[in-house]
Amino acid sequence: MRGADYVIKRVAFAVITVFIALVLNFALFRLAPGSAVTNLSRVPHATPETKHAIAKQFGLDKSKGEQFVIYLKQLARGNMGISFENSQPVSKNLRTALSNTLPMVGLGTLFAIVFGTLTGVIAAWRRGTTTEHVTIATALGFYAMPTHWLALMLVIIFAGVFPSGGMVDDFLIDPTWFQHVKDVLYHMTLPASTLALVLYGEYTLIVRSAMLETLGEDYILTARAKGLKPRAIVRKHALRNALLPITTLIAISLGYIVAGSILVETVFSWPGIGRAVYQAVLQRDYPMLQGAFLVLVLSVVFFNLVADLLYFKLDPRIAE
Amino acid sequence: MSLLLQEPGLLAGDRPARSRTGLLWDVIKNQPSATIGAVILGIFIVLAVLAPVLAPYGLHEQVGPVYGHPSWAHPLGLDDGGIDMVTLLMWGARISLVVGFAATFVSMVIGGTVGLVSGYFGGRTDTVLMRITDYFLAIPDVPLMIVVAAIWGPSLFHIIVVIGVLLWTGTARVVRAQVMSVRERAYVKRARSLGAGDLRIILRHVLPQISPILIASTVLTIAVAIFDETALAFLGLGDPSRISLGKIIENAFQRTAISSGAWWAIVPPGAAVALLILSCSMIGRAMEDALNPRLRVSHLSAKGFRLRPLVGRGPDAV
Amino acid sequence: MSSLLELEELNVWFDLPRGGTLHAVQGVSLTLDRGERLGLVGESGSGKSTTVLGLLGLLPPTATLSGRCLLNGVDILAEGEETVRPHRWVDLAIVFQGAMNALNPVQTVSSQIVEALELHGLATGRQAKARVGELLESVGIPRDRGDRFPHEFSGGMRQRAAIAMALACNPSVLVADEPTTALDVMVQAQILELLDALCRDFGLALLLVTHDLPVVAQLCDRAAVMYAGEIVEQGPVEELFHDPRHPYTRLLFAATPDLYGEGVPVSIPGTPPRLDRTLEGCPFHTRCDRSFSRCKDERPVLREVAGGRSAACHLNDVPAEVA
Repeated sequence: MRGADYVIKRVAFAVITVFIALVLNFALFRLAPGSAVTNLSRVPHATPETKHAIAKQFGLDKSKGEQFVIYLKQLARGNMGISFENSQPVSKNLRTALSNTLPMVGLGTLFAIVFGTLTGVIAAWRRGTTTEHVTIATALGFYAMPTHWLALMLVIIFAGVFPSGGMVDDFLIDPTWFQHVKDVLYHMTLPASTLALVLYGEYTLIVRSAMLETLGEDYILTARAKGLKPRAIVRKHALRNALLPITTLIAISLGYIVAGSILVETVFSWPGIGRAVYQAVLQRDYPMLQGAFLVLVLSVVFFNLVADLLYFKLDPRIAE
Repeated sequence: MSLLLQEPGLLAGDRPARSRTGLLWDVIKNQPSATIGAVILGIFIVLAVLAPVLAPYGLHEQVGPVYGHPSWAHPLGLDDGGIDMVTLLMWGARISLVVGFAATFVSMVIGGTVGLVSGYFGGRTDTVLMRITDYFLAIPDVPLMIVVAAIWGPSLFHIIVVIGVLLWTGTARVVRAQVMSVRERAYVKRARSLGAGDLRIILRHVLPQISPILIASTVLTIAVAIFDETALAFLGLGDPSRISLGKIIENAFQRTAISSGAWWAIVPPGAAVALLILSCSMIGRAMEDALNPRLRVSHLSAKGFRLRPLVGRGPDAV
Repeated sequence: MSSLLELEELNVWFDLPRGGTLHAVQGVSLTLDRGERLGLVGESGSGKSTTVLGLLGLLPPTATLSGRCLLNGVDILAEGEETVRPHRWVDLAIVFQGAMNALNPVQTVSSQIVEALELHGLATGRQAKARVGELLESVGIPRDRGDRFPHEFSGGMRQRAAIAMALACNPSVLVADEPTTALDVMVQAQILELLDALCRDFGLALLLVTHDLPVVAQLCDRAAVMYAGEIVEQGPVEELFHDPRHPYTRLLFAATPDLYGEGVPVSIPGTPPRLDRTLEGCPFHTRCDRSFSRCKDERPVLREVAGGRSAACHLNDVPAEVA
């Protein structure tokens, strides 16, 4: 298969990164001095039996090396300990949180990509004109705004128009599926928009520079010499080629998306992974923090791998 | 904008360019975006450094009611402790800038060294170092910063180290690329064949050539460091004994500034951060543009080439 | 007197990033008859590539152009892009340097040739594919290779593919901009032979841009020598070589290493003048070995010096003192 070793290399890289993340996770949370952080069984409000069970499960009395192995085994079973805060299994909390985060972040990112690409292409196309300068200035402006501050700005501006907290209306009794979806979307508007605006700025700049780079390539001149109209050239040649650097750069922005979602969910009390991190920090809920961190890292590694494979599909030159 | 046309007869790389540390000043003078950025940054630095002298009121001095409205005496109003916002902003900028610069310094030292060693010595060293860099890059930095800060405890020193240790990868890559190209230049090879030691070559030939790109990368890193500090402060991981711009926003958030309608407690500190990040970004990007010869002519644009009616020689002859 | 292609007083100015303009092409005029082969010769920066890009209207937005380009008597540059585009590829086709990635790396070679055919309404679908196969074979590429990507071709084969693509719409003029530069010597010879054969078989006029004199000698009937944005001499290649009427032409030919000759190649000292300023006198006078007082003050005009030949040099006005 063409480029099989490229795929293998990227997958191997992802796997090793995951392993490093696991080691890091373990090291940070179990090797810290003092037991405040390391003692998983210190669940407040738990019965002595539960505490004892956890201590046994995670082998808290054994050597660090053995603990690491046990940690991996438990992880494979989906056991990440019990949350100090609500005494629920961490994995259960995280699953709910993740399913809440994905739609909101997904929507915001999607809008950012679509509009960012549009304005990026326009800015490159209209190089040297006022349109370009205005577009870049706006993009830079949004890019420079701290995510949480922009979130607060939107709350102030749209107070009363869009809900500024939570994912659902607690007073909505027994909603139909349709009502529920509408309710969620309503609540999702501001947080997703915040994320979208901040990312849009960055993507505009990325797409613009990718397009400018592409438009300076020789095959564009050839296309023009062949008699193609400018719009057709952009569509058939430029955009397709610019997708390559754009994919790479959007993958790089994944870290930014993660940071952004943590901040946005905190401001809007959106019950997702980001807010889980915030609350875990606030309440010193170390098992939750450890679990959430791992999930975040795994998500980033996963999406990076997806981007790598996408790039591979898009660029026929990678076979070598 | 980069130079589109090379001067005839001058082949780049033939001999070392004139000292390029003047490039920063050059760019600031000639590129309007960089000039604006430098002016804004300069104002902030001056205000921050001179905060103890210039601040109109005391940092802990209650001069009015909780969330007092903006007035002539207090153009940006008061925070929830009755403290003047302008004073808070100046002192806050101080800490934010300190963290930004210090963390960037740490990352510049690490990144610069890694890039230098990796690019200069190449081979196994390079492969190993670049692998490590790749893995560092693969782990998202903000969650890691949060975790480390949460475990290690919030203090200015910890924050600076945590941010610095996670931001060096960009600088490392950029420096490495530049070092690799400098390494191949004629005068470096000559120096080596004359028996100059590695350290000497690095100090005398390589460092001056990479300093422009290092500075550009550093300026851009400052923007990110400032953002990271505000993010950490917002999540409650900032140094509790210091006021930074991020902390001001966090305070406002925690203490119901919004529901009290006290927008002045939120808008100015965030705007200040945005301005800082913007100005650093503008300077950094302008420098990158000046150093990056790859920004060639676009073959395609909304405007086409222009026509002029048939003339003799010279654009002004009729 | 209807030449196929007549370029009249082409001028190109480029906006410089720091202000001011660069006068890259200064009043260039050329004619090309059906089936004729003209070489445009000069060193880097002389404006030869800009000239041919200009006549096809392929200049960037930073360029300003004046002049006329008459194709069968019709000025195709009259309204700029709109009047010139319909003639691209169907009348005037261009092949670029082999080192350029003139072919889109993410599309197969045949799809790019098909694009040209479909765009100009010459063929679609299966017919187009068949035609692509014919074209590829005529340049020496096996039919089935067309479905590969450009990076899978060697430099020489890529250049052949580019030539095949240029011929797709049966143009009457083929412009080749440094077609053999950056190719191996062996491959260069092959490409030149190919161009020779194709132009003969299809009755194409050839406008060949190059800095390489032996190439011009091999392929072209006439040549125009460019220096500092203007034509300093033009005429039949043989006569240019044996009886140059401009010192630059003479030195250029002398600078070419001759495998069998005993002469030592002479390089021309100095550098070409900057084109962002207006020049006083002859642009070549600082490097010329025969310049005299008039050369510093008065700019020579391109004038006919013999049948079918013209040169821009004051020496031609002094009866006995010629080159």
